[in-house]
Formats: sequence, C-alpha cells, structure tokens
Amino acid sequence: MAVAIATAIAVSLGTAAFSLYGSGEGAKLSLSIVFGAAFGFVLQRSRFCFFCMFRGWLDERDPRGLLGLLLALGVGMAGYALIYGAWLPDSSSGRLPPGAFIGPVSLVLIAAGLAFGAGMAISGSCVSAHLYRLGEGSPTAPFALIGTAIGMALGFLTWNALYTSVVVTAPVVWLPATLGYSGTLVIGFAVLAILAAALLRWKNPRLPDQPKSDSVLHSIFTARWPAWVGGLAIAGLGTVAYLRVAPLGVTAELGARSRQAADALGVLPTRLEGLDTLRGCVSAVSDALFTPNGLFVIALVLASFAAALVAGQFKPSPIRSSHVAKGLAGGVLLGWGAVTGLGCTVGTLLSGIMAGALSGWVFGAAVFIGIVVTLRGIRRSARSA
Amino acid sequence: MIKQTIWAGALAFAIALLPAAASARENPLVTTDWLEKNLTNAKVRVVEVSVEPGQFERGHIPGAQNIVWHTDLVDTVKRDIASQEKFQALLRKLGIDKDTTVVLYGDNNNWFAAWGAWIFSVYGLNDNVKLLDGGRKKWELEKRAFDNRVDAVKPSSITLTAADTKLRARLGDVLDVVNKKSNATIVDIRSPEEFSGKIFAPPGSQELSVRAGHVPGALNVAWGRAVNPADGTFKSADELKKLYADAGIDGSKPLIVYCRIGERSSHTWFLLSKILGYDVRNYDGSWTEYGNSVGVPVTNLAGTVWGGK
Repeated sequence: MAVAIATAIAVSLGTAAFSLYGSGEGAKLSLSIVFGAAFGFVLQRSRFCFFCMFRGWLDERDPRGLLGLLLALGVGMAGYALIYGAWLPDSSSGRLPPGAFIGPVSLVLIAAGLAFGAGMAISGSCVSAHLYRLGEGSPTAPFALIGTAIGMALGFLTWNALYTSVVVTAPVVWLPATLGYSGTLVIGFAVLAILAAALLRWKNPRLPDQPKSDSVLHSIFTARWPAWVGGLAIAGLGTVAYLRVAPLGVTAELGARSRQAADALGVLPTRLEGLDTLRGCVSAVSDALFTPNGLFVIALVLASFAAALVAGQFKPSPIRSSHVAKGLAGGVLLGWGAVTGLGCTVGTLLSGIMAGALSGWVFGAAVFIGIVVTLRGIRRSARSA
Repeated sequence: MIKQTIWAGALAFAIALLPAAASARENPLVTTDWLEKNLTNAKVRVVEVSVEPGQFERGHIPGAQNIVWHTDLVDTVKRDIASQEKFQALLRKLGIDKDTTVVLYGDNNNWFAAWGAWIFSVYGLNDNVKLLDGGRKKWELEKRAFDNRVDAVKPSSITLTAADTKLRARLGDVLDVVNKKSNATIVDIRSPEEFSGKIFAPPGSQELSVRAGHVPGALNVAWGRAVNPADGTFKSADELKKLYADAGIDGSKPLIVYCRIGERSSHTWFLLSKILGYDVRNYDGSWTEYGNSVGVPVTNLAGTVWGGK
C-alpha cells in the first residue's frame, strides 16, 4: 500500500514535470519539480537536518552529520567554481555572478543568524528540515512553518529600518573577486579541512556503528543514508540547480506568500527598500500561481512523504500543546531570521558558502552560536524547573 | 562601332554600380541564418544586451559577449549614457574595432539591444553595428544552440570620437519644438493608455513621472506595432513606411522619439533611422524627465491627477 502511494506520487511529479517542460519559463518550472523532488528525497533519506548535525556534535560528540555538511560545502564550492569559470571567466571584473546568494555582511546578518539558530533549537530544526518532516508526519512541523510565515511578516515589517540604518552600507563580499577562483577554493578547502580535523580530534571514540546492509534496495529506500552520501548528493544537486534554475533555497516562496498575505492585511509599508535588488533567498512578490521556488518546495514535501512511506518512517503522532508552542515560537524566530538574513540554512549558509559568499560563513557561525546559547538556556531552565 | 562599344561598356559599368549605390545604406539587420553561418567569422562580434539578469550566463548565442545595460551603458551616478572613456574601455575589452561588424541581440524584442545600438551610433559606430532580427526570441524559437561558456577575446585599441549630439535630443530640444522655435515631429512610442494619460506607467514600472499625459503635439505610434508578434522581427520596410506614413510621419521633417526611460524609443529610433533612413533623434530623458519637469506644457487627455482627485 505504502509503495503504491509512493509510486503514485512519483508518477504524478514526473507527469507534472514532463507536461510543463518547454522553452524558457516552462523548462524552469519543470526542472524545479525535478530538483525539488530530488532534494526532498535526499533530505528524507539522509535525514539532512542542520540542527540534528549540530546537536549530534554538541551532545554526543558525533561528528558524522557535520562532516557530511562540510563535504557538501567543499564539493559544492568546486561545482560552483566550475560554473563560474564558464560564466564569468574574470572574477575580478567587479561583476557578481547572476542569481548567486551573495548577501551584505553586517550586524543584521549576525542578528539574523542568532535568531535563526535560536529558532532551530526551540522548534527542533530549520526550515528545510521542517519541510521534509512535514512529509514524515511530524506534529511540530506544520506549526513551525506557520510560525515561520508570521516571523517573515515581522521581518518585512522591521526591514526598512534595518536596511536604511545598517544593510545599505554593508559590504557585499564575494571572495573570488579578491582571491580568484583558485584562491577561494584553496582557502575554502583549508578552512573545511581544519574544521573536519577538529571534529575528528574531539569526537566520541565510542560511537555506535551505523547498521550495515547488504541489499542495495534496502540501502537506498529503507536504511538511513550516511550523512556523507547525503552531503555528496546535495552538493551535486546544488550545482546543477544553480546551473539551470537558481541556487538551492526553500524560503523564497514562503517569503513571497507571507509578504503577499501581510500586504493584503495592509500592515506592510508599500515599499521595502532595496529588498528586491539584494541577492538572496527572499524573492519578489509575484502574481504567478506557480513559481519555480513554489513548485520546488511542493515537490520537496511530496517526495519526502513518498520516501518516508516506503521506508516506514511516515509516523504521524498526536499533536500536543508543546508541539504547537515550540513550533510557533521557534518558527517566528526562523522566519524573522530568514527574511533579515536573506535566506535560511539552505539558501544563505549552504548555497552562499558554495557560491563563495562571505555572508554564508558569517551566517553559519552566527547560527551555530545561536543554537549553543539557546540549547544551554533551555536546558538550564529545564533543570531549575 | 567603337563608339557604340564604349557607350555600351560605360552603360554596363554604370548598371553594375547601381546596386552598390542602392545599398549605400547597408542593411542594419542580420538574420538568424546569416548569424549562425558567421559565428566563427573573426570580423563579427556578437554581443547580448538583455534586460533579465542571468539570462546571458545560463545560455547565449555561441561566442557572444555580454553587455549589462544598467552598469555598462550608463553613468551609474548621474543620469546619463556612458561617457566616451567608459564606453571606449568597454569596446576595447570586448575586442571591438572600427572595422568589426557588431551584431547586437537581446530579450524583450531587442529593446535594450536597440538602446545599445543607439549608443554605438552616438559614439560614431553606425554602419557596422547591426541588430539580430528577432533577437533571442527568434533564435530560441528556431531551436538554435545556446552556449554558457564565455570565449576570451583579444582586446582592441579602438579610439572613439566624441558623442554625436545630432542623434540625441535633450529636454531643451523638445521644448523648442513644443514652443515652435524649431521644426520637428515628436513621436511618443508608449502605449495609448500612457499617451492619453489614463495611467502614469505600465504596471510594475519602478521609474515614474508625477504627471500623466504626453508632450504637446506628439504623435502616438506604439513601438510594438512595428514588430511581428510571432517572432519579434521587424515588419518589412514597406509595411513600416506605410505604418508611419498613416500616422503622419513620412521622413520629410526631422523626428524626435521618446518613451518612458528611453530604451523602447531606441527600438523605434533604430527602425526609423536605420531601416527607413529618416532623420531621428532619441530623447532618452523621455517621459520620466519631461513629465517630472516643473513648468513645462503637458497634454493630459484623460485628466488623471497624481495622488488622486
């Protein structure tokens, strides 16, 4: 039964992609379904959850998740550099590569990262993980996503003040512009290697082994993929998605819809200064029923649902008030951080670092600090209660 | 007999010269077929000028170079076209020499490619600069190949002459016509809704004017009427001639064309001056300058009031 439903989902996604395919915008919409479905499948199969990776390391000194992330960043950086070399042979021309998530680096970005990290710790994951967990029947995910939409509206409300006071003069640093492509890769790989060495140096020596599986089908569809396999798949997907449509990102559509809703309620200023000209995972409002990012997100959730069904990991559980509270509260922080940071852990952190953006590294560091501080706070208050 | 032979010879020679004289104004358009056959011609430089960012990088005509209209072709601080030095540096980087045949193309019916062609002409590069008829749209419709690699080109050492003011109208020139101090026909190429003042600008336009309407005395021929909607190519010279003659424009008087920000009007400038050979100036300040100027006469047929009635 589960396999039948999953097959039906896969067939309908395939049919939608096939029928949309055409020249120009049609190809983008079609490919967005394909990339979204592949991303959702990979996220679910490898449980590629940024928060779980950080928590696995903080709590158990388990480096495997974060090593998978570092691998994704390294391979993705190489993939982006290959594309850049063709598109913009001279990286020092003063131009930025089109569509890449290269944002301004400022205190606002740091605040966004801290808020986003706190939101991850409170709600239990980031936006992309809530999306794939929606497909697994998580009781928190729907409320976290509602909270995210509310938080995004708050982000738009505070945007003009933050933009004119801080963001407008903040530098947009694209590392290849000063270091060149090879220099960016050498330094990037070195930083990733140092981080990996640190993770391995202080890892827990007595970690349980991942269960071994001899069957290929079982390894692909049932067993959890090792994080490094997920990392490799995401790096490849990030590269081809940037080549054909746009960098990986999951907040553009959510942001546009929440902006539309807030606008309809009349609470937004009529003009959001500079927001639509900045490069990031917060897209302009469009009237189109289907946008590339909208289809990407829908396909992500459906593919994750199908993957979870087959693996026996679709387990809806009863909703308790704590799910609602944690989801909404964490979600608001995630949403505010995603708008003011111009993206989330996928858009700004992952796609940004792959793109050679300093903003990706700064956002990543701020998210990490946000998680550590918030987790400590939560646990201290739990102990004292 | 000998005399006759000489006469006949002279006549044949004159006839042989005729086509050359007729094509003294070279065809300003190239076809997609011609371009595909000349992609490896070292004397041809193909340049994309598109509105949508990222379009060139994800796929362009093989061997094409890129011009970004909002940074390369303008002064980014004051409102003006790129200075002689800036444009010269750009052409040198793109390896364009005086004898290079430059083929410009772009998205949106070649709007910005035509704007580029106008700037090339302003800086004296007139005869060798051509538009790919139908632009990106036709190339794509005909399923011709795109490439996403950018070829390295050998820089040129071209030296440009100063801007030719005869191709560009300024606010004062337009006012002189309005005040009957000079004789020219002003052509407004915006939509009839903008011309009549029903709307200030098409939906989604960032650049606005705080008055609706048009320059008094201007004739309205929307730019799109000159284009075959199916593939974005220009209509034939005869059709164009008739289209404008029906609107009262026959080339007997100097022309000034304008739109909202000066780029769609370059499209009309291109066809009137290069295809029909009329004397045309592009008013690139256009309605965003004229309609925002204090104290200038305006015709507002619809009576739309800025800020509401």
